[in-house]
Amino acid sequence: MRKILTITAGKILIFLSRMLGNQGTDFPGRAARTLYPGILKALAANIQEEIFIVTGTNGKTTTTNMIASILREKGYTLVHNTAGANMLSGITTAFIEASDLLGRKKFDYALLEVDEAFVPLLIKEVRPRVVIITNFFRDQLDRYGELDHTINLIKEGVRNTDIELVLNGDDPLISHFHNDTGLHCWYYGFAQTIYDSVESMESREGRYCVFCGHELDYQRYHYAQLGQFRCPECDNHNPDMNFTGNKLKMNPFIEMNVNDLFIQSPYQGFYNAYNILAAVSAARLVGIEDRTIQRAIAGYRPRAGRMENFIINGKRTILILVKNPTGLNQTLSTLLYDTKSKNLFIALNDNAADGRDISWIWDADVEMLADVKARIVYVVSSGQRSGDMAVRIKYSGVNPGIINIKSDLKEGIELAVAGAGETNYILSTYTALFECQKILRKLQKDDSKIVGQRQLQA
Amino acid sequence: MAGFVIAHMYPDLLNLYGDRGNLLCLQQRMRWHGHDCRIKNIRLGEKIEYANIDMVFMGGGSDREQGLVYRDLAGRSDEFMARIEDGLPVLCICGAYQLLGTSYIAVNGQVMEGLKFFNFITRGAKNRLIGNVLIKACMDGDEISIVGFENHGGRTFFEDDTLQALGRVIKGYGNNGEDKKEGIKYKNLIGTYLHGPLLPKNPAAADFFLKAMARRRGVELDSRLDDYIEKIAHEQIKNRLLAK
Ligand SMILES: [Zn+2]
Repeated sequence: MRKILTITAGKILIFLSRMLGNQGTDFPGRAARTLYPGILKALAANIQEEIFIVTGTNGKTTTTNMIASILREKGYTLVHNTAGANMLSGITTAFIEASDLLGRKKFDYALLEVDEAFVPLLIKEVRPRVVIITNFFRDQLDRYGELDHTINLIKEGVRNTDIELVLNGDDPLISHFHNDTGLHCWYYGFAQTIYDSVESMESREGRYCVFCGHELDYQRYHYAQLGQFRCPECDNHNPDMNFTGNKLKMNPFIEMNVNDLFIQSPYQGFYNAYNILAAVSAARLVGIEDRTIQRAIAGYRPRAGRMENFIINGKRTILILVKNPTGLNQTLSTLLYDTKSKNLFIALNDNAADGRDISWIWDADVEMLADVKARIVYVVSSGQRSGDMAVRIKYSGVNPGIINIKSDLKEGIELAVAGAGETNYILSTYTALFECQKILRKLQKDDSKIVGQRQLQA
Repeated sequence: MAGFVIAHMYPDLLNLYGDRGNLLCLQQRMRWHGHDCRIKNIRLGEKIEYANIDMVFMGGGSDREQGLVYRDLAGRSDEFMARIEDGLPVLCICGAYQLLGTSYIAVNGQVMEGLKFFNFITRGAKNRLIGNVLIKACMDGDEISIVGFENHGGRTFFEDDTLQALGRVIKGYGNNGEDKKEGIKYKNLIGTYLHGPLLPKNPAAADFFLKAMARRRGVELDSRLDDYIEKIAHEQIKNRLLAK
């Protein structure tokens, strides 16, 4: 009875918060957990096959979504939490939303993107069969202390379970999971690619051996600290891979072989090649046949905040979520490949979900904006920490005369799209993203109305 | 045009929380003043040629990395301290600040030695002191406000009354959350828990170092920089803290 009441209340709250225009999917789950702390455990019992958890610093959302699309392609039913709602409350919301009122509806799989720090707690409530770890980059450390601590939390969480781990074998910070947990580990990683470098780019964590602290020797770097490494002191090196990415090509869209399986994707960038590799590895573990995997990955396209497109005043306008130095670097590097002149809007918030500490913007290579190839003609800094973002951009070498500060998102976006650039880039941290999306949708609608009226008059 | 050099100590090990923003800030401002400014990375075991260096910067790192740094510096700390006495500009953030004291006592009772430049100790604690900070400090004779973000488990206590804090805490925790002191200031050295990073949105603090560097070389920094954007960033967070 309590379960049914909680589910009903949860569903009403989800409905209400949607009506109020909130994407915030945490609140209904949090309320439900207060009403009935066992709700998640109870609903997780409806999963017939397996529960998969995806965690790690970067690529969780894309990897989880790709696995979900493979399983859906196969015809399985899923519980799957939406981007960003990756703490216990958000996951609870996802289960309530998928459930029927009696809480008895069965699903084949649950596919859960989980914030690193919540893995141990989640494992206590649901029993995953597989935990997939994408990588460990420095990310929003202020919430939990340092990276070492986070990694230890996850190791403690999975110890003494029968969970199987799917790990990025190119990440030296993951090497010790097998030794320290004794769990069965599956590894994925890349063979040599034409994009490798011998010199390190700007990787800031993990270039030291997790066993003895000695600096690692790299034969090649694939992306940031991911690559082929060996410790000269204790011989710690990449594990033998179960799933190897071969013949990677990015022209600019990704093509590669995973073992012998040919994969094509509309995604770009090495970081996405890793996400695809992780997703394909997980799908092969489940035993999904090749054809289904190929079709799902080829048909999987970017969505909300991951390069969503609008047309405003006839100009292409791209909304992109940025949340850490790696993500911001990825975004800025795509700007360099776009030859059009640009108006740039960046909203920086410092709510809990964005990370209270905004100093990460100094770890990103914002200097790319000052590159002539970036063709930035107008900048608007916005959000709660518009001043800090403007300072960061000023010190990157961008002419201060084109930098504007407008904390209000709506005024800021309106100012930005009125700039002289041929295209608009709208970047936003998490808690401003949905507001920005709403503003852009409205501007796009107004735009099409005006166009429509002109046509009528003509 | 003079050419200044800032030594960045252990960039591979001590580089948490956007610390490189402090270096970027100093470098750019020096350029805007019309002088060249280079960053020289100093790695474990590498000789520090003080005669060719105008300033030293050290950031924060995790415990393991702090241990490596301590072992590297302990054997050659006398010369470092002599240069500090001599007025070498030095900025130490967070973990590097803790390293300047006598010791760090971890939660489990384990004692890690410090460089013993100053008589203060740091005690580890389970819960970290995290959040935006506002302090009042005195720089080049003016009272100024400094804003930043702190995130530290250690609580630092001065054991010598003559030690001078960088500033007085208005909002936030500071050295230990108890005595309203934040950081340390000695001649041209500043040790502090404030990152965020510290210098870009506190141009007065950046100028304190620039002026000290210039003075030691007999150079005048005569141009006035336009700090309009920096001031907005500073006031934004200051006003938010004061409104609470
Ligand atoms: Zn080793």
